[in-house]
Amino acid sequence: IPPGKPRLTSCRSPEKETFTCWWEPGGDGGLPTTYALYYHLENSETVYECPDYRTAGENSCFFNKNDTSLWVNYNITVVATNALGKNISDPVEVDVVYIVQPNTPENVTAVVVHDEQGPFVRVSWEKPRTADTRSGWITLLYQLRVKQEKDKEWEVVGHLYNILHMLVFLVLWTTVVFYIPRERSLWIMITIFSVFIVLILTWTLNVKRNSVKLCLLPPVPGPKIKGFEKQLLKSGKSEEVFNTLVIQGFPPTTDYDELLVEYLEVYDNEEQELVLDGKDLSEDCMKSKSPSDSDSGRGSCDSRTLLLEKCMEGREGSGSGSDQHQYSQHGETSWASTESSESQGPEPGSPESADGCGKTWPVVFSSPQPQTHHHYQVGAAKPAYHSVPEILNHSSPHTTPSNYHQLHHQDIPQQEGRFSKPACRHSQSYNQFNLDGVGTPAPGVPPSPSLEYVEVQRVNPENMLLLRPLSDPNREPEGLDCAGEDYSKVKEVTNNILLLQRDTSHQCVDYYSQDLDNQADQCTTQQPPHPCKPAVHQSNSRMPHEGMRVMGNGYVDSTVLMPSY
Amino acid sequence: MTQGSRLYFAVTVLMCAFVSINGVGLNDLLERASQLSDKLHSLSTSLTNDLDSHFPPVGRVMMPRPSMCHTSSLQIPNDKDQALKIPEDELLSLARSLLLAWSDPLALLSSEASSLAHPERNTINSKTKELQDNINSLGAGLEHVFHKMGSSSDNLSSLPFYTNSLGQDKTSRLVNFHFLLSCFRRDSHKIDSFLKVLRCRAAKKRPEMC
Repeated sequence: IPPGKPRLTSCRSPEKETFTCWWEPGGDGGLPTTYALYYHLENSETVYECPDYRTAGENSCFFNKNDTSLWVNYNITVVATNALGKNISDPVEVDVVYIVQPNTPENVTAVVVHDEQGPFVRVSWEKPRTADTRSGWITLLYQLRVKQEKDKEWEVVGHLYNILHMLVFLVLWTTVVFYIPRERSLWIMITIFSVFIVLILTWTLNVKRNSVKLCLLPPVPGPKIKGFEKQLLKSGKSEEVFNTLVIQGFPPTTDYDELLVEYLEVYDNEEQELVLDGKDLSEDCMKSKSPSDSDSGRGSCDSRTLLLEKCMEGREGSGSGSDQHQYSQHGETSWASTESSESQGPEPGSPESADGCGKTWPVVFSSPQPQTHHHYQVGAAKPAYHSVPEILNHSSPHTTPSNYHQLHHQDIPQQEGRFSKPACRHSQSYNQFNLDGVGTPAPGVPPSPSLEYVEVQRVNPENMLLLRPLSDPNREPEGLDCAGEDYSKVKEVTNNILLLQRDTSHQCVDYYSQDLDNQADQCTTQQPPHPCKPAVHQSNSRMPHEGMRVMGNGYVDSTVLMPSY
Repeated sequence: MTQGSRLYFAVTVLMCAFVSINGVGLNDLLERASQLSDKLHSLSTSLTNDLDSHFPPVGRVMMPRPSMCHTSSLQIPNDKDQALKIPEDELLSLARSLLLAWSDPLALLSSEASSLAHPERNTINSKTKELQDNINSLGAGLEHVFHKMGSSSDNLSSLPFYTNSLGQDKTSRLVNFHFLLSCFRRDSHKIDSFLKVLRCRAAKKRPEMC
């Protein structure tokens, strides 16, 4: 009988370079049967016969390198032939790359090793000889399986990637880069960077949280009554405590007329001028207050913004005056006139108006340095009053000019100041000229942000209001009279007259108390040759009674009218 | 998060950003690429197996010949000796051409997978989608490799795919789906082989890698 149908059992390629196919005979039918293997490639009709029947053994066909083509289907059939006929096996389509099955690892050894941690087995092997992993033609993955002798099933120990294990981290990393389409990778990088920057910023902020908090939320001073000590209340006798609250001369009497102080213009250095209008001295303005003063119960004046006189307007509408408060562009301050409700904000300096307003008031300023667009009047000051400016060198010469001004009245001896009973009170204003500010003209530069309040120290016989800053460190050394005495409290405003009340601390002797009655009459209003002045006066005339308001800031009001403690 | 861990995290992010800015090394890129291509091939093999589990016998008869694949016109090396002689940039462009040729067909496969007349339709559908994602990743990655290698010209072969439907009736749709998948499986193997050769070629400094 003809042979049975042979059957191709398997084909295998150990290294992706050659392959072998095996068949099994279908039955020889009792006669010697020969087998032939024929194949053709998918894209051609040419049939080839197996080149090598021997190398791989019985019923096999070995395709060597030359006969092996990759990525192409082999259509293989085996034909069994005997004397009586032949039989053809079913065709098998084989693609060599799908039948790759490497040889076994070589030199597999398992050794028991004794270690201080205990015995363990070290298994070692080598790659199969035929596998060309060096060029990357094939990639081998090894898997170790163990089983105990009596077990039936093998247990996989672990997947071993002899090639990849070293690069796991970087490979994981490249996933990120790879996975993202190219056009988005830039955004991802940007996001990563910004996240990093945000992290750094938040960390820094966290580290500096205290100073940030201080910057964003500056401590608000609590209300405090001057002279009233909480501690005393807690510990002391009630009499001591309340004694400080007792006001001399309360309720206010009609003696306030004697506290009349005339207008005084004080010009600040560089950008600031204090214009003191004697009639309408706002208590707030008079007060000098150090920035750290916690007596917020008092009104406060920013001597800088205070009186922003618009001298321009003063000129234009001189006469029509009205409502202007003249605000100098550079913060020329006039005490009284600022009451007008129409405070207008300072205009960033225009030199002309500065000049216009800048005619100083002879009394007050004289700056040794001529400054063109400046409120200072150099040398214009009449010596009578003195105003030789005292230039104090402060420890920080390069800072912006401090706000307080010091005019030191040299012709008034200390003693005299202390004990004399001038017709009018001495007012001493201190102008400090910051030398360093000179020569750096900055028209329109807003005044330095430092706030320094000036307090009226005395009114001198020439009807000058002497100011001194509360924070003036030189106060004491100059031998001024007791620190507690100041005229920064407004007692009352009547008929456009600002009445100051002298406040004396408990240490001071009330030097001038007797003179209150006399001095007011003798005081005269100074008429500075100032174009702004008339306007100032005019505006003063319209000063509302309800309250004195500080020009720039709107501090004030009812506290001003209350008698000070 | 404590300050220390915050700092550590920031440093890590910085390092990562630094690395990503500088770019990953070519070796690592190729490593990753060959991993992806390996995954691509194994996915396609498992898809083929899923399809074969319930394939009508008549389908095998109807199946078009592999030479009908749209990428058959691309000249590729047929054996190892030929393959190892090819320069790196050509190997890369072969891989990229093949990859590019399959982006549209895979989209078609993906859209048809959900309506396949096959009991394993859901599995097939999800695997096809996964295939599509991987191909996109690999495509982008190979572009990185291309730029990293600094080849002068970009000579990609165009292997257009004109078919936009798998067939009218469900059987022919199934058969064509199977056929297209088989073409893809083979091409994915080609890509994988070329990339792995490229990888070992680039890793000359690190013999332990290959």
